[in-house]
Amino acid sequence: MPTTLVLTEDEALELLAFLVTAARTQLDEAAEYGPLRLLTAASRLADTIAPRVSPETRALLAGPLRQVPETAVRTADPAGYASKLDAVCRAVARHLVTNLGREAGTP
Amino acid sequence: MTNPVLDAIRTRRMTRAMTEQPIERDRLEAVLEAARWAPNAGNRRLHRLIAVQDPRTLRLLRVVSPGMFQRPVAVVVICIDWGRAESFGMRRGLRGPYVDVGTLAQTMLLAAHSVGLGSGIVTSFSQAAVAQVLDVPDDVSPELIVCLGHAAPTQPAPMRARNPMTWQTLTDWERFPARRAVGYAEGRT
Repeated sequence: MPTTLVLTEDEALELLAFLVTAARTQLDEAAEYGPLRLLTAASRLADTIAPRVSPETRALLAGPLRQVPETAVRTADPAGYASKLDAVCRAVARHLVTNLGREAGTP
Repeated sequence: MTNPVLDAIRTRRMTRAMTEQPIERDRLEAVLEAARWAPNAGNRRLHRLIAVQDPRTLRLLRVVSPGMFQRPVAVVVICIDWGRAESFGMRRGLRGPYVDVGTLAQTMLLAAHSVGLGSGIVTSFSQAAVAQVLDVPDDVSPELIVCLGHAAPTQPAPMRARNPMTWQTLTDWERFPARRAVGYAEGRT
């Protein structure tokens, strides 16, 4: 996989600011907002890097992550929510295996 | 029953996606003037409003506000002036001023709707970071952000499916019902 830089310093700082402030706000919020904030961060990261990544990664960014509605929370549909997140995790893992490969000798 | 006020209350929606179109100053001022008429305990006026239109400041506020899905072209930050509250013998953290944050917010949301603006409220933000960005002093706390702008044609899906709440399921007459009768199946959350 090419080692192209896909974030500027400003963009990285914005993401950092989002993450640390989300950590703080989570102390006072409903627990179900935890995954919501992480997914918002992932979506913002995806939006930012999409124009600069490989076509394969761009396809990943446009995939299952976008299937989770922006404001979805667990309590509305616990099983469906977990299922959507599992789909995102599987897609990311598949992409990692394909693009980063496994240790030599791993089947 | 219907009239313009009830219609405005019924048709206002939380706007989570906004266009880049600027809003006219007179509309923003109309929203701010409405806030001045919001109900306020004891007419003590313990609140301060910070109106922001500068794009760079708006960008900073958004990155320290995880609950801000929209990209507003203006925001009004509702703050509690605890120094002024103390002059009335109120200690920091008393709940009264928080109630008035709500009345201010709702008044502004309805005013925005009445002048054709979309609006949304954000409470998920770092108070420390917002205070830093806006130079808010230690004895004043930013409590709620009202986002303003023009609603985008497509809005994110609501956070949950609308439940069948009506004013009847929301309301009990004369006293709180026995626990066994609390109607979760009727839409209580």
